Amino acid sequence: MNENGFTSPARLKDALTEQMYIANDEISTVVYLSQQLGKPVLLEGPAGVGKTELAKAIACAAGRELIRLQCYEGLDETKALYEWEYAKQLLYTQLLREKLHDELAVTGSLKEAADRLGQEEDVFFSMRFLLQRPLLKAILSDEPTVLLIDEIDRADAEFEAFLLEVLSDFQVSVPEVGTLKAIHRPLVFLTSNNTRELSEALKRRCLYLFIDYPSLEQELAVVRLKVPELSPKLARQAVELVQKLRTMDMRKSPSISETLDWAKALVTLNAENLDKSVLDSTLSVLLKHESDLAQARRQLFNPPSRDRRQDNNSLGTPRWSN
Amino acid sequence: MDQRIAQFIAALRASGVRISLAESADAFKAIEEMGVQDKDMFRISMRSTLVKEANDLETFEKLFPMFFQASQPPPMTDATKGMSPQEAQMLAQALRQFSEQLRQMMEKLLKGEPLSQQEMNQMDQMMNMEGMTDMRYQNWLARQMEEAMNFPEVRKAMEELARMLREMGMNRQQVEKLREAMQANQQAMQDQIRQHAGEAIAQNLANKPRKEDAEGAMNRPFRALSEEDMHLLRKEVRRLAAALRTRLALRLKRAKTGQLDAKGTLRANLKYDGVPMELHHRDRVMKPKIVVICDISTSMRYVSELMLSMLYAIQDQISKTSAFAFIDHLEFISPYFDDHDPSESVREILSRMPSGHYNTDLGQSLENFTKDFLDKVDHRSTFIVVGDGRNNFNDPRLELFQRVSRRSRNTIWLNPAPMGLWGTGDSDMLKYAPYCGRTFQVSNLAQLAGAVDQLLLH
Repeated sequence: MNENGFTSPARLKDALTEQMYIANDEISTVVYLSQQLGKPVLLEGPAGVGKTELAKAIACAAGRELIRLQCYEGLDETKALYEWEYAKQLLYTQLLREKLHDELAVTGSLKEAADRLGQEEDVFFSMRFLLQRPLLKAILSDEPTVLLIDEIDRADAEFEAFLLEVLSDFQVSVPEVGTLKAIHRPLVFLTSNNTRELSEALKRRCLYLFIDYPSLEQELAVVRLKVPELSPKLARQAVELVQKLRTMDMRKSPSISETLDWAKALVTLNAENLDKSVLDSTLSVLLKHESDLAQARRQLFNPPSRDRRQDNNSLGTPRWSN
Repeated sequence: MDQRIAQFIAALRASGVRISLAESADAFKAIEEMGVQDKDMFRISMRSTLVKEANDLETFEKLFPMFFQASQPPPMTDATKGMSPQEAQMLAQALRQFSEQLRQMMEKLLKGEPLSQQEMNQMDQMMNMEGMTDMRYQNWLARQMEEAMNFPEVRKAMEELARMLREMGMNRQQVEKLREAMQANQQAMQDQIRQHAGEAIAQNLANKPRKEDAEGAMNRPFRALSEEDMHLLRKEVRRLAAALRTRLALRLKRAKTGQLDAKGTLRANLKYDGVPMELHHRDRVMKPKIVVICDISTSMRYVSELMLSMLYAIQDQISKTSAFAFIDHLEFISPYFDDHDPSESVREILSRMPSGHYNTDLGQSLENFTKDFLDKVDHRSTFIVVGDGRNNFNDPRLELFQRVSRRSRNTIWLNPAPMGLWGTGDSDMLKYAPYCGRTFQVSNLAQLAGAVDQLLLH
């Protein structure tokens, strides 16, 4: 990592591995492209596949500060960009009353006093009283940063439109202060769980990266890396089971983070084998809905007869959603 | 290369992936950055710049090899290698028994020669490939081509050849080896043909003239829409739903009561030296609420897909939407929309509620509704009925309709039938109409858009 960022996708991938994040070629190439083209990356995929984690790992790998903006319904400019600190302004006015009095005492007419006051105006509308929210912080930072806009699909469409403006040229005009321009273009990541369609305009400005559930080998590698205490044999069994659970029609399929939690639970319990009693006591780490649990128990402990399985297949693979 | 990429983008567009000019420019920039040497990186840089929707990834993956896989001849083995002169002679003798065309083909298979460009071109001329602009035709087209190349006959001839060679006293193992090699070669040739068919279709897609705008489709009646128009319309419907949402939000945001806004008050009263002279309150944002019931009976079938897609889009935009579909009874369909994508959920609903003969019963459906779901309607919700009001002379249950209509903020009826037909035959439209706040005829998309625009004026 040097001043100009990563020099190739392969270097980026290595740097991510150092941060304990296992990236495939697709992830490293897209992130590298985003750095080269200066475009935000839109990350989509099921919950818990490591979208947010990716942004964090990149920030660590690049040695940059991570600035995070969590979106929610009703998020607006004052929460995302900047706000004037009225209370502080008011307090300063009160405290400086004496001083102001002295300043204005020398003036003769009312007009003169107003002019005099006008000259001091910028004191009250300076950066001192500007409360910086994540977006402005990313723009004004002296060091290059990584900006993570998390769960953009939860914000309103109006906020999305506002975001477009900021993301396109990284400058903001504050009427009282003037235009503030980014010194360094931050690396921007947007994540979405697809709870609603994002606007075409926003998508157009981003590079698109879809992260799906990992393959068995990839997931195993993650488990081995993050929970090295777990025996290789048990790790493989556990991951195989999780992969099998994902093929079932669940309300919420287990994510990678849940696989890791489960692996840690297995280590804590000193489990030797994935037998019925171990599963019974730990399955709730993986599955968070009562109906999912019941279904998993039914299918794992008494394998269904052939025709019932066919029934299940006819439902098709569930679309990822959450 | 640039030419090829541009063609690829055109083909993607023709397959329904929405790609703007800016995005294709991005793709070129990305390729410039990454180079074209590494095929995987090339593919990924194109994909991340061009495709922005998970559903379109599949189209991309299907089309990509048609444009950027060097169409190398498939690997084939030469079965005649390692034959003794005697065996070669036997083979030549046996081959002489077949017709000229079959013999040529079989020699090719024996020697492991792929089809030449010239032969492919000949094949193309035999096929009528105009209008083949969907990758779904690939397998079909490949089979047609195989038939044009007499593959079924060749297969028979191969068995025949094996039999003849055995009779002529050739070593059984040798015969078996020959036969297996020929089959493998034929398989390879089939792959070659399949790839060629795909490329031909992809080429067609790339050359397809750009579609006329949505404008043309806007004014065409719903009955006369083609599959492709539907695709356009679905997009348009999505836009409409988004428009509906902002409009609703604007209308409902006006009311100003509620909590004291401390910051706002402080700000406003700075000019009075901090003495609170003006009080500011938070805006009360009233969330729009919609309850829709949609007729999907036989008489409405031609628009039901579109209407259901619209319901889906609306629900996507407005979280408090309850959608119902009815024929002879009513079903709550919102849950379907929650966990499936649009086309899938619409298909599922339509197959779940098959249309029957003359069984529409709005009265009965209204009864279901008032019995089980009346709580969905309150003074904030807009009640929308989509249907033609044709009730098969069943009891219209006007009193129930009136009850629902009174509870709601506004009642709107969208009817795809022309206004002149309202009240004729079994249509109860005119009986229901007095209880509706507004009624609209929506037989094409322009009218639907107009209705949506008018929806919230009251």
